[in-house]
Amino acid sequence: MTSFIEVRDLKVSYDGRREALASVDLHVADREFVAILGPSGCGKSTMLQVLSGLLQPVSGSATIDGTDVTKPADDRPRVGYVFQDHRLLPWRTVEENIELVLAAADIPRTEWDARIDRYLNMLHIGDYRKAWPMQLSGGQRQRVSIARALAIDPAVVLMDEPFSTLDEVTARTMRQQLVELWQASGHAIVFVTHSIREAVFLADRIVILTKGPATVLSEVRIPIARPRVYEDPALTELEASIVASVMREWGFGNGTEPQ
Amino acid sequence: MTALALAPRSWAGMPRARSPLALLVAVVLLAIAWQIGTIVSDGWVPSLDRIGAAVVANLTDPAIYGQMAITARRILIGFVAATAIGVALGFLMGLDRRVEAFFRPVVTMLLAIPDPVYIIVAILVLGTDESSGLIALILALVPFVVVIVHGAVRARERQLDEMSRVYKLGRWAYLTEVLGRQIAPALIVAARTCFAFSWKIVVLIEALSQPEGIGSQIYYSFRLLRSADMIALALIFIVLMRIVESVAFGFAERRLMGWSRR
Repeated sequence: MTSFIEVRDLKVSYDGRREALASVDLHVADREFVAILGPSGCGKSTMLQVLSGLLQPVSGSATIDGTDVTKPADDRPRVGYVFQDHRLLPWRTVEENIELVLAAADIPRTEWDARIDRYLNMLHIGDYRKAWPMQLSGGQRQRVSIARALAIDPAVVLMDEPFSTLDEVTARTMRQQLVELWQASGHAIVFVTHSIREAVFLADRIVILTKGPATVLSEVRIPIARPRVYEDPALTELEASIVASVMREWGFGNGTEPQ
Repeated sequence: MTALALAPRSWAGMPRARSPLALLVAVVLLAIAWQIGTIVSDGWVPSLDRIGAAVVANLTDPAIYGQMAITARRILIGFVAATAIGVALGFLMGLDRRVEAFFRPVVTMLLAIPDPVYIIVAILVLGTDESSGLIALILALVPFVVVIVHGAVRARERQLDEMSRVYKLGRWAYLTEVLGRQIAPALIVAARTCFAFSWKIVVLIEALSQPEGIGSQIYYSFRLLRSADMIALALIFIVLMRIVESVAFGFAERRLMGWSRR
């Protein structure tokens, strides 16, 4: 399998002292949905920051579609980023928020309307095109954030715990919609989460990290066919086996109960 | 809907107290106090009817409009220059630590200098022509604008900076659509402050060193002991400036902050 995203021996530290990533390798194929799973503070988000160009590593390499993304350059591939919070501009309407990134991505103006309509409708918020972010619920704002990430036709979509602040019912609906959207659009997605259930439900493959500063602990391919349902016993069984395998490593005793 | 939601709101989103009755009581009390002052001062404080007559006389004299135009031009030049320099410097200081390290002590020092000192030094160094007054005005105003803008830029939402970088918004889009809109309330405060100071300082400069303008006319009335004229000129100008301030900044506020009232 050829790697669309390739990360090798990535080391990152803050202020040159606090190590965030010890040594991480990651390979993501084109159109693959990969979840990165790790305990809080292990450096999961740091990896996304490197891939998006927000952080420069101390050493190691990271490429997207063959382009080095560890150095500032104009020809860096387009990346769609869905943050933990929506990060919409409150003084711009939903469509204006998306138009801002479409303009920055040099998407021809003639395509804007169709793109905005397409993704807002796919996320069931087509009626809110002219709304202000403050008029939307948390889930709707996050949907706009996802639409913004996809509208620029990115090389890869990076998602940093995007549903962690939502209530469980909304989060489940959005996970379902995300899978449908991913299947329709065919973008590679790197999805950071600390929820094992979420990772098992969404991903083709899970990359499990150690406690911080992180290295890769193991990788798990999800053998469950899509569409997946939350109540599937196979999902629960896989989740339990991952929980058991990471308990000790993440600092929870002998693997039977949290300390 | 709560009473708070129904209350008229100021630009900062805080409920603004507006009561016609309170205003009426305040005006009546002030008029009574003024009339008492007139009686106690044995006529040195002009009575309200004398002031009213002086206001009408000045407004019907075409010469006052020429004087007002001169003062307005000076205010406009000083205000625009000070706001432009102050906003640019405030942005640079907020975005670049080296610029901040260099200018912070300078701005702190300039803030501590009383406004009349700028005027006197400018007259001593550059003479009494118009440019010395304008330089004094700009020097006095810039530090206020810088401090307000710098503080707002420093306190910006860094997460929106990250979003801008991820989506490669570009410098101009970032400055105008992300940072500029984010600190719009501070920019309006800076411009309002700058304007309020600028017309007061221009009047002071004109009184001290210029042969023309409303300030010089006020000073002329003072030298001739025409206190009613002095107060009438000041009143006319204050009302005019308040109208300009209210219309111009009210418009800017509605344009830039309208989204927050939806």
